Amino acid sequence: MNRIIITLLAATLLLTAGCKKQLETDAIGLTTLEQVNEVPTLATVETSVRSSYQLMSNRLNILGNWDWGGGLVFQNDYVLQDIASDDVEKKWSPDGDQPWMDDINNFTFTSTNGGPNGLWKYNYEGIKRINLAIQLLTKPDIETVTGITTARRNQLLGEAYFIRSHYYFSLITNFGDVPLILKPVQTYQEAFAVAVRAPVAQIWDTIKANLATAKTLLPNTKYSSATEKWRVSRGAVIALEAKAALYTKKWSDVIALVTELETTGFYNLNANYFSSFNTEFTDNEVIFAYDHRSQEQPANGNGICAPLGWGFFAPSTDFLNAFEPNDPRKLYTVNAPAQNINKMLGSTDGTNKGNDDAPNNRIYIRFADVLLWKAEAYIESNNLPSAIALINRIRQRARTSVDVSGNLPPAGTLADRPASTDAGQVKNWLIQERRVELGFEEQRMLDLKRWGIAKQVMTAHGKNFQDRHYLYPIPQSEIDASAGTLTQNPGY
Amino acid sequence: MKKLTTIALRYSRLWPAGRLFLLFLLVCTLSSSAFAQTGRITGKITNAQGEPLPGVTVRAGSNAVTTDAEGFYSIDVVPGDSLQISYVGFRSVSRLVAAGESLVNLSLEPQENTLGDVVVVGYTSQRKNTITGSVSTVNLNSISKTRIPEVGQMLQGQVPGVFVAANTGAPGDGFKLRIRGEGTLGNNDALYIVDGVPTRDIRFLNGNDIASMTVLKDAASAAIYGSRAAAGVVVITTRSGQKGRTSIDLDYFTGFYNAVNLPKMLNTDQYLTVKDMAWHNTLGNAPGATSPYQADRSRPDLANTNWLDELFTTGVANSIQLSASGGTDKVQFLLSAGYFGQNGIVVEKNDGFERYNFRVNVNANLTERLRIGTNLNLSYSKQDKLSSSGDVPGVIRHAMIRPPVLGVYKDPSDPTYNPANPYTDLPFYTGNNSGWSKNYEYSSNPLAIVHFTDDKRKTFQTFGNVYGEYAFLRDKSLRFRTNVGVDISFAHNKNFAENFGDDNDNDPAELYPGLGRNNKPNNLDENYGDVMTFTFTNTLNYLKTINDRHSLNVLLGTENISSRTTGIGGSRQNFDNSTDPFRYLDYGSDVNKSSAGSASEWNLVSFFASASYSLDNKYLLSGTMRADGSSRFGPNNKWGYFPSVSAGWRISQESFLQDVSWLSDLKLRASWGQAGNQEIPDHAYETLVTRVGGVVNTIRYGNPDIKWETTTQTDVGFDMALLNNRLTITADYFNKKTDDILLSVGLPAVSVGVIQSTYVNAGEVTNKGFELGIGYQNRDHAFKYSVNGNLSTVTNRVNKLQEFVKNINDDATRTRTVAGQPISSYYGLQFEGIYQNAGEITKQLYANANGALPGDIRFKDVNGDGQINADDRVFIGNPVPKYTFGLFFNAEFKNFDFSFLVQGVQDVDRYNDLKQILNYDSRPFNSTTAVLESWHGEGTSYTTPRVTFNNNGGGNVSSVFVEDASYVRLKNIELGYNVNLKSGSIKGLRFYVSAQNLVTITHYTGLDPESTSLIDKGTYPLSRGVLAGVRMKL
Repeated sequence: MNRIIITLLAATLLLTAGCKKQLETDAIGLTTLEQVNEVPTLATVETSVRSSYQLMSNRLNILGNWDWGGGLVFQNDYVLQDIASDDVEKKWSPDGDQPWMDDINNFTFTSTNGGPNGLWKYNYEGIKRINLAIQLLTKPDIETVTGITTARRNQLLGEAYFIRSHYYFSLITNFGDVPLILKPVQTYQEAFAVAVRAPVAQIWDTIKANLATAKTLLPNTKYSSATEKWRVSRGAVIALEAKAALYTKKWSDVIALVTELETTGFYNLNANYFSSFNTEFTDNEVIFAYDHRSQEQPANGNGICAPLGWGFFAPSTDFLNAFEPNDPRKLYTVNAPAQNINKMLGSTDGTNKGNDDAPNNRIYIRFADVLLWKAEAYIESNNLPSAIALINRIRQRARTSVDVSGNLPPAGTLADRPASTDAGQVKNWLIQERRVELGFEEQRMLDLKRWGIAKQVMTAHGKNFQDRHYLYPIPQSEIDASAGTLTQNPGY
Repeated sequence: MKKLTTIALRYSRLWPAGRLFLLFLLVCTLSSSAFAQTGRITGKITNAQGEPLPGVTVRAGSNAVTTDAEGFYSIDVVPGDSLQISYVGFRSVSRLVAAGESLVNLSLEPQENTLGDVVVVGYTSQRKNTITGSVSTVNLNSISKTRIPEVGQMLQGQVPGVFVAANTGAPGDGFKLRIRGEGTLGNNDALYIVDGVPTRDIRFLNGNDIASMTVLKDAASAAIYGSRAAAGVVVITTRSGQKGRTSIDLDYFTGFYNAVNLPKMLNTDQYLTVKDMAWHNTLGNAPGATSPYQADRSRPDLANTNWLDELFTTGVANSIQLSASGGTDKVQFLLSAGYFGQNGIVVEKNDGFERYNFRVNVNANLTERLRIGTNLNLSYSKQDKLSSSGDVPGVIRHAMIRPPVLGVYKDPSDPTYNPANPYTDLPFYTGNNSGWSKNYEYSSNPLAIVHFTDDKRKTFQTFGNVYGEYAFLRDKSLRFRTNVGVDISFAHNKNFAENFGDDNDNDPAELYPGLGRNNKPNNLDENYGDVMTFTFTNTLNYLKTINDRHSLNVLLGTENISSRTTGIGGSRQNFDNSTDPFRYLDYGSDVNKSSAGSASEWNLVSFFASASYSLDNKYLLSGTMRADGSSRFGPNNKWGYFPSVSAGWRISQESFLQDVSWLSDLKLRASWGQAGNQEIPDHAYETLVTRVGGVVNTIRYGNPDIKWETTTQTDVGFDMALLNNRLTITADYFNKKTDDILLSVGLPAVSVGVIQSTYVNAGEVTNKGFELGIGYQNRDHAFKYSVNGNLSTVTNRVNKLQEFVKNINDDATRTRTVAGQPISSYYGLQFEGIYQNAGEITKQLYANANGALPGDIRFKDVNGDGQINADDRVFIGNPVPKYTFGLFFNAEFKNFDFSFLVQGVQDVDRYNDLKQILNYDSRPFNSTTAVLESWHGEGTSYTTPRVTFNNNGGGNVSSVFVEDASYVRLKNIELGYNVNLKSGSIKGLRFYVSAQNLVTITHYTGLDPESTSLIDKGTYPLSRGVLAGVRMKL
């Protein structure tokens, strides 16, 4: 009997010793960052770029689940550029829903407001994703390891530099100095170390340098890929370069870059103003947009149409009054009686309203916008005739667009601006033209701030705009999370 | 001496480790006992009710026998010996045997909590009076009267140092149990050891099956369970059969429950008045204009609904417990079956909970030395999960916020009326948004949510063990035990979200035209999961008393735990037919269907040893050591080591106290030890990248140096029994320091995007406190009674945090953790009053008024910079209760018995978020009558701000919502009657009536001060119950 017991005991000890192997388990369904970095697959490289686009989309709840207060339900350009401005109100009927949006609208927000928080997190999430893609694409042996072709690698890397520049553009125009993070954080300690604000000028330099590189990497065709027209194109890179020059007041660069874009011959104004919003990849005007599609797996539809169904986003009376008589752009932008924001719905009959999986695209850069940058640069370079010509080109297209009912506006609508030698007057024409041409396209507040007239315009609009509001506050949650290495903007 | 040494030597040849025992034996001397057989005594031992007690130990001199099935015994005695009769749960009796006496019948009095009881502790058992750690045994009589299904929850108010609270009032929603405070920011759940098998969840367990429950509070007691014991250990053994006649027990009760402590909501008239005022206080609304609320007063369809009355009804619970036990010398068994079913206090049957339990406990002595057995529990539970917490679609919350102006049902003349869905949904809905959304918001009809809920959570669980135990050596002092524990559970969740409500967009171009707005389109989500945990434990235990002076208990063991969880699930939507027979995945649409599946596993390998030694039953010393290797940690810190030592001095055994007759027992004890915590997600040491849904993303940064959280605890205390064990006092002081607390730190999104938190060893937390347990019983008269009270204090403080986590902010819980403050303290603006006039505002907020108006909340400008912002946040409350107490009283008089339990906590704060949404939200929700006191002009209120649809300051995280959540509650009260039974097959019959949560004293204005979440969102109210039942013994 004892012998049996001793055998049992020995077996027990052996079993236990054998179980030491149990202490090393593989994470199911997950790879480590080292594995991804060292032996990336082609799929990982492709997906890393593709998933970096997602933060530009209008999908709902990309980050979190109905985190309204944190401003994470959809991307907050709509709130921070439009609701904040004199163009847009939170809802068709004022109510107490989402008071943080009211605080943005009334300039009573603090650093805990969801708006800046959402914008910050969307952009830095995008930057984190694209940094991984850039790190993989710039590995010296990436072609041999993954079998990716040189052409494809160059294309993806060009896209990646554009995407990162886009996110940083959004950050510095809203927050000023922000941390400049250009490669994936490797350890959690590093995550704290890099959370330090860098001067805006340094970030502008990075954006411009990255875009210059991207331009050399992307093919000289209208679309980077004939089958994936949604990808960043060389034209989009040039346009963003021009926009960066505009925001840094490099007027001659703006003119040169827009001219360069024009000479590609890929872009022109559409015959109809609304074609940018209800057609996809068959028009001439859209230079960069996020391509939404309904009923895809994983879901990739436009979600902003759902809040539109709940009564969000309405024009201010001021905005509706800004249109000249019979301007077809007014009804294409918004149908006030039906409470439809046509531009955001991509329809003129209410289609897509309430649908969180709609097919209409989110437009970022279109040719009309670009032409007006050039006009602005001409004004600032005191070339008023060229500026007026461009403004009139925009007005001409508007008045030659058939309206929602298919009729041309009566003669005399949106008459050409006459020649002028008064730069102030021409600038005002430009300001007016941008407002009606680009309403509800998340440009207004950025424009007002760039022109330095935000305080004047918003005060006239009855809003409590103070000098500190030229920049949004750094989200308090981020200042708290960084244990104080991130500093707040003045006045908050 | 010689003989034993020979035995030891013989074993040492066979097995080298035997030399160890030889060493012990050599220091011992043998005592000789005299056997003089001069007389024989027989008799019968019964309980107070006259029922025979089998298995009672009867001693006379050195002889010992046990009573048989009928309670009879027979023992040889020497005149002058005294008969000593002892039985667990009864007061021991010592009786001198008179010369010539041959028949001694005795009835034993029950006794609670005696120091002589045998207590199950780490991997072994010990007499309570020899324990050197801080250990509390649970009074089973008291917990059996709680009449609640969850065993852990029964501990509420029972044991000093143990805090228990129900998560919500909803059936089956679980509870929170804390032993000696909050040791860490992460998982603080105690470890349960059920029949030797560790588990974190004892919801499967039937209270009626429990034979003993012991709470191991200090590290010296718990350290033997190593890396999972930092939060304390509860050791539970289930009942086993006694040899003797079979006993069959039946217990049945039925109970009725009602919601109590509901807030008083505005009626229609009050609501319209308040919202009219709020509308006029809102920017942009002209002072002279007629508000929509004023205008709607003339509506013919205006209702006056009390949504809470409509939602709540009387809940019913039924419990049936049946058990049979018995056995022979060789085999003992217990079989039990139980059913508990409850339909909660919400109308309809969609908030029910049912549990079925089956248990088989069998022990068999195969040979004199080999014993095998099993304790096996099968359980099946089913919860009808109602969304009782949170916002969407939280029925309770919607019942409170929904305006009273809306009726429950639509009028049949309403064009949108549908007999299958007669409920109102959107306010005064007639079609496209005609302003209802701004006037009455999008609240849902809670009765419709209840009606259309179909969310079943089923769990099948097998939990138990199979063991074998073999005794070596002639005196069986060395025992080898092998134990295989199984914990296999299968969960099946099925949620059919039926489409209902109004078609809010009413848009033919929309994707699902004509469907109601809720659950659009309908959707079935179904998943299966299983968790299998195997625990393989082997111990070698040497237990020997030498020469009646030296008692030795040595244990060596290994343990191997492996756990694997897998799950699969699928969902489909747009079912053509949503009736019951079609609520299966096959019948949904092919569009937007999804499937999912994953798994995870963890393993733990352990070695442990313990030794305790007592000299003369007076001087006690023990030590334990455990080494744990865990798959949870990386190569840098795979193994953790957890030692402990403790000592005791039974001062009452000293000769100088032998003559002190009032002192029955006094033991001083001191202990020190370390236990660990490894409750972090698997693979926290690695940086992980996922590729799901077309997104390559780093989901969490790893920390390769992550290591065990270690709790070092020092405990000093005493156990005292006075007045012939009538009065017992146990007191402890503990200092529990947790180092390297495991904490998930949110990295700045700027560096890593939106990502899961990283686990770090973040700092050090201490919990210090006193515990006092006092019991008194007097059974000398017809009126027999006992009182057991307990009180404990905990002071919680964070000592330090790592450099890069200077503070830990949790927006979701409105808390911040910093060195020098209690863990997770509430953090926000400090309420200072109400702005009475504009001058007050310009004076205080000279730099930036940020739109503040008279009537708004005035917060303290802490830094005096003339504006209120994040820099003005301060600590505004402590969520860890400082005092926890309980009092159990039990009395018997003739055939009646009576008991009650009072329990409570003192000095604790809670964030009442329900108050925010009811009375401070900017949307036109319904409010409590507290808003009738709101500010409406200078001097009208200094506490309640003006009502408005703008932010009156109530949108801020502030001390306005932090309330004192101290309470005292009459948890249960029970009256029983024992029927006199002449003879027949029924051996015992007791009828009882009981009430739960009869009285609560608190200043807290939320639904229940007991709620466990840091943020009380007003989930499911407490219910008051009245029960009646019967207990029968055959």
